[in-house]
Amino acid sequence: MSEIVLESLGKTFGDFTALADMNLTIANGEFMALLGPSGCGKSTTMNMIAGMLRPSCGAIRFNGQDVVDVPMAKRGVGFVFQNYAIFTHMSVRENLAYGLRAQGVPTADIKKRIQAFAELLQLESMLNRRAAGLSVNILQRLAIGRSAILEPAIFLLDEPLSNVDAAFRAVMRSELKSLQGQFGQTMVYVTHDQLEAMTMADRIAVMDHGKLLQVGTPLEIYNNPADTFVAKFIGAPGMNILQGRLSQSADVASVGVPGVGSIPLSPALQSAVRQLTGPEVQVGFRPEQVNVAGAGLTMHVGLVERIGARTIVHLERGETTAKAVLPADVALPKAQSDWTFAVPQEDIRLFDPKSGQALKARTH
Amino acid sequence: MTNVSTMTPVADQPEAPAKSGARLGLWLTLPAQLLVLFIALFPILMQVYISLTDWSPLDGIPWWRAHELWIGLLNYSDLIADSRFWGAMWRTLFVMAVCVPVQFLLGLGLAVLFVDDFRGKRVLYSTLLVPMMVVPAVAGYMFFMLFQSGGPVNDLLSIFTSDPVRIAWLSDPDLALIAVMVADIWQWTPLMFLILLAGMISVPQDQQMAAILLGASWWRRFFTIVLPRMKSIIIIALAIRVIEIFKIFDTLFIMTGGGPGVATETISVYIYKVTQQELIWSYVAAIALAILIVLSVVSVFAIKRMQRGQET
Repeated sequence: MSEIVLESLGKTFGDFTALADMNLTIANGEFMALLGPSGCGKSTTMNMIAGMLRPSCGAIRFNGQDVVDVPMAKRGVGFVFQNYAIFTHMSVRENLAYGLRAQGVPTADIKKRIQAFAELLQLESMLNRRAAGLSVNILQRLAIGRSAILEPAIFLLDEPLSNVDAAFRAVMRSELKSLQGQFGQTMVYVTHDQLEAMTMADRIAVMDHGKLLQVGTPLEIYNNPADTFVAKFIGAPGMNILQGRLSQSADVASVGVPGVGSIPLSPALQSAVRQLTGPEVQVGFRPEQVNVAGAGLTMHVGLVERIGARTIVHLERGETTAKAVLPADVALPKAQSDWTFAVPQEDIRLFDPKSGQALKARTH
Repeated sequence: MTNVSTMTPVADQPEAPAKSGARLGLWLTLPAQLLVLFIALFPILMQVYISLTDWSPLDGIPWWRAHELWIGLLNYSDLIADSRFWGAMWRTLFVMAVCVPVQFLLGLGLAVLFVDDFRGKRVLYSTLLVPMMVVPAVAGYMFFMLFQSGGPVNDLLSIFTSDPVRIAWLSDPDLALIAVMVADIWQWTPLMFLILLAGMISVPQDQQMAAILLGASWWRRFFTIVLPRMKSIIIIALAIRVIEIFKIFDTLFIMTGGGPGVATETISVYIYKVTQQELIWSYVAAIALAILIVLSVVSVFAIKRMQRGQET
């Protein structure tokens, strides 16, 4: 069990900054996902926690103790590689025994612990098989077991599901989550797949271009993205971001999108927009929150994609594009026609037009 | 055409055209295949044929009429009783037993050093490969001069002794073979190094990282991850050197000519002497065939081991 604290952590490779000023506290026993597109610095962060990379600046603390100078073999970190790095020239048993042998555990103890772990991971029947021909889910279990048998305080997983096909991923996700429940370690999970992060993690750290953008529970991040990048990155499809203008008529402040319509602002957002210097603002709403029954916004319907349980409607008006996700049981708009819909005012999010930061004073 | 549907009995049908296609392919490539077979087999068959006769070019009859001098297996029974042949054979095996392990260990050690980056690596790397590129005859002359009784090797040894060392390396029957082996090790360790380095670089990095994270020391990693993963390439390197040692000739011949006496006469030198000096070609054919059989066994053994290595 271990708490991980990253303090102003940074890493540069020559002129390239892979990670800048990362501050993150991962609680004891927490499942933290580092989520972001390729090159966002998530693997760099992970490798620094493991000790494979030395930070250019900042500190990494395990339970309050700085570990930057501790070599990776001594950090007590379990690491599951993207391709599992199973020793394929050995048997399953030898793989499990590897770490114990390296640490000089007596043979009798090794035997006992392997037996216990093999039962836990349902690997008993294949202990004497060569690791070379095993299927991916067994490789994953073996990779986790090989590290977990040493009882590391911290478990790091580097995109362990990226080599697996989509159907199998769902199985592996639930398996991973239940394994974490069994071991109860602090887990850091690197992924570019938001579905993995959303379903498994206690909290998600969203990163882009070497910066930590937002940390929060999956729902917090989904409901209240910190900026337009997080808004568009999370969700499939991501949040719609439209260029809007504020207008004030009588007592009601509303935000208008040219050619589309306008939405009155909720009281919370009315206070939030006072930070803005001009009338320009970015308006965001989730495609799922489009209300078919309401009125107020009108856009031209382009493509209508039916994907079973739900339908994605592509909307456009001039330069402005948006998507709506509709459940299967509503009347669908006709393609190539104008369509009127509403977005409930509590589902509107506003972002600063220049920085892309969410305008705070949240509704929730 | 797919074979996915082989679960059903009808699935045999789509294979029929494939079979006739394969037969057509065989006919079309037959001339080329026969040619290749002829090129590979002809010298061997010719050798078998001549080894069963008493033919030599001085007999005045062309080789295909050698059957007029048919002696059956006499050459082979001579070979079994030929103590000079067995001497040369054991000497070759001795050189192999010393040189191959030394070259392997030196090459492996160098590969370990060169697998990591350090300053001046590229220059040192190129320098280390130079011996391999020296023409063996030139290397022979080099070591011939180095090992003269007034040569640099003795001068070097004199530093450690009070009296100047004047060892006659190449004319001492006990020392000449050592000099020859030193030359071989000098010239061929780089090849071993090159092959082993290539093998070592191809050992997956993440496996080594995983081993480190599991707490394995350098030695444990080396013996449990690196070496087992290099198995195939090690077998290739060893097989190449074993076969090459059987052919050791030019460097050695220039240094000692196989002498003094027969002290450095390896199998290739012996064959050369029998051919060129005693002109018993049919006997040479028998020797060559015997060696071919030995080397084939070595190669087959190596290939088998390698295939087993690749299954993992």
